Amino acid sequence: MNKTWIVTSETYLRQTKSWSFLLLVLMPFLFIGMTFGISYVATPNKSKSDIAVVSTNSALRTSFIKQSGVATTKKYANTSAAQKATNRSDINGYIVLKATGKQVSATFNGPNEINSGDQAKIQRFLATAQTQLNVQQAKLTPTQQQALAIQPKFKQQLQKKTASDKAAKTISFYILVFFVYLILTTYSSITAQEIAAEKGTKIMEVIFSSTTPRKYFNGKVYGVLLMIVTQLLVYLLGGALVVQFAQHSRITAGLWQQYASVIGKVLHNLLSINLLFALAAVLLYTVVSAFCGALVTRVEDAGKASQPVIYLNLLTFVMAMAFQGSPSSGVVTVFSYIPFFSSYLMPLRLINGTATMTEAVISMIILLATVVGSMWYIGKIYGGLMLQTDELGFWGNLKRGLSLK
Amino acid sequence: MLTVAHISKNFGTLHALKDVSFDVHDGEIMGLIGQNGAGKSTTFHSILNFLKFDGAITWNGQALTAEDYNQIGYLPEERSLMPKLTITQQIVYLARLKNQPAKVIKPKVNDWMQRFAVKGQPTDKISKLSKGNQQKVQLICTLIHDPQLIILDEPFSGLDPVNSDLLKQAILAAKKRGAAIIFSSHDMSNVEEVCDSLVMLRNGEVVLKGKINDVRNQFGRTRLFLTTDWTADQLAALPNVAAVNALGDHRYRLQLTDAEAGPAIFDAVTAGHYIQEFSQQPPTLDEIFRTEAGGLDHE
Repeated sequence: MNKTWIVTSETYLRQTKSWSFLLLVLMPFLFIGMTFGISYVATPNKSKSDIAVVSTNSALRTSFIKQSGVATTKKYANTSAAQKATNRSDINGYIVLKATGKQVSATFNGPNEINSGDQAKIQRFLATAQTQLNVQQAKLTPTQQQALAIQPKFKQQLQKKTASDKAAKTISFYILVFFVYLILTTYSSITAQEIAAEKGTKIMEVIFSSTTPRKYFNGKVYGVLLMIVTQLLVYLLGGALVVQFAQHSRITAGLWQQYASVIGKVLHNLLSINLLFALAAVLLYTVVSAFCGALVTRVEDAGKASQPVIYLNLLTFVMAMAFQGSPSSGVVTVFSYIPFFSSYLMPLRLINGTATMTEAVISMIILLATVVGSMWYIGKIYGGLMLQTDELGFWGNLKRGLSLK
Repeated sequence: MLTVAHISKNFGTLHALKDVSFDVHDGEIMGLIGQNGAGKSTTFHSILNFLKFDGAITWNGQALTAEDYNQIGYLPEERSLMPKLTITQQIVYLARLKNQPAKVIKPKVNDWMQRFAVKGQPTDKISKLSKGNQQKVQLICTLIHDPQLIILDEPFSGLDPVNSDLLKQAILAAKKRGAAIIFSSHDMSNVEEVCDSLVMLRNGEVVLKGKINDVRNQFGRTRLFLTTDWTADQLAALPNVAAVNALGDHRYRLQLTDAEAGPAIFDAVTAGHYIQEFSQQPPTLDEIFRTEAGGLDHE
């Protein structure tokens, strides 16, 4: 079997079986689950939020319950029972519907004001019922009834830069930047510490007597990359489940419908070339983290190994945040082609429409070329760095490591 | 056969190896001895291609290839395993890197653990094992894939006499199946007991090389052990006797200036009568090490 693959699978299986990885992957779902759970507990149960409908006109009552769209209960059909249920807080209140002579009326009785959504639904139902009553009272001919049935038309011609568009861009940017920042910090740290710990235990001499440092290094990087892909797949699958749940849950369905357009745009911004920028960035940071880990000589210093990469990531993160409001700035344009920075700044430009797909592809090619170049060079000097175990400081370790191979 | 031909290695101004050459044949055990910093580990690292060096190292007449490294078993001087793995996982992982399928290695783990008397179960984590048992697991990792070239850097270091014997048996078994074996050691008794030949390094240079007995004999039979009623002063007065050490119970060790003086001393001491002991020997490896390597200094 290919030795690179053996190292890849060993790295991947060992890390993904760890509790820390499981927690890392499952943490967002635990938070979302907790949020739903708390919302569910905090939201009054269904019967308590229902409204009873009382009317001497049973046809009108049935029609309201079926057509109004208001959450109602059939349980309480008379005023006395509805009043008692309201007093016991079993229901939100009750509506008394009347159709006396030429007018339809409704009176809500309850401890709190009815919400604006339900008010609109009740108004709409009453208007329809009143129109039907008016038509009956007027004794119109079929032609007149048809003429009166014609409704006005309302259409929306949305401009490109609408408010929802802007909100979608802002949300996409923040999600992307924080996601990339967190994932880079996490995996830089995992990689550097893993490599530094291995170097500290001196197992490398045994391993390098079996396979080349380059194959081993590549295997390590691929193993970490597989972990990231696993995490992304879990997020995508879990995200799809959360979306399904959010669309159908009574807690979130309304919000979902209201913001469907924004959510669609955010998902489009995230599931695009921007995701590839995130993946390529993780690969580059992983390679550089492995290099940093290889420069440490003691297990105790494994924690320090990732610091240079974490600071670099912090710098690029701060820069992305600083230029969030000015994506067309010259600085952003230039740095959106520079590896390490491009993973934040090119997506920023793409989300805001200040970069074309051609520019994004050029930036991606530069980033991938840097990843490949770094892997080639660090793979070449990796053996020397890992076998250099004297404590000579950063530059001393580097110099000695380079002289070995 | 491993051939190391004229290899040299410098670290800056330090000459770690200077024109080192030797061969190790199949079925031969070679001891690489020398003081700390003499160049033993650098020699091993050169064979394993960890370092750039001048000269040539070949295996069966060819430069070592990636495939050849599958036939090498290497035990480094500093013991190290992956503490989070179980014994089986560790052995199988390192064996897989030697192109050994897991299904071939796994059934052997128990047998090898018994052979080295490892205390623990194959499912025990490495981190739970004692230092001695970890060392034995590392030896298993070195040998379980039946390598043709075995390189052991201070393999007896830290082992008690019982476990040293287990290791010697394993080394001799590997020799019997035709493996070429090199090991470094500071304990000359182990070298003398197990090795067929030796190479002694001093400051990166080969100062002694050859079969064990040849190396000893080239110093001449200048050690004389005898048991007699003579006193130390009487023995010291004999011709060609440089020094006399009393070993107790009328037993002495004489240092001769000329090995040819032995028969004359025999005649003088026995005077035609029986004596219990008269044994003329070359210096021991330990004595040679002390004089040639420049002093014993344990790493």
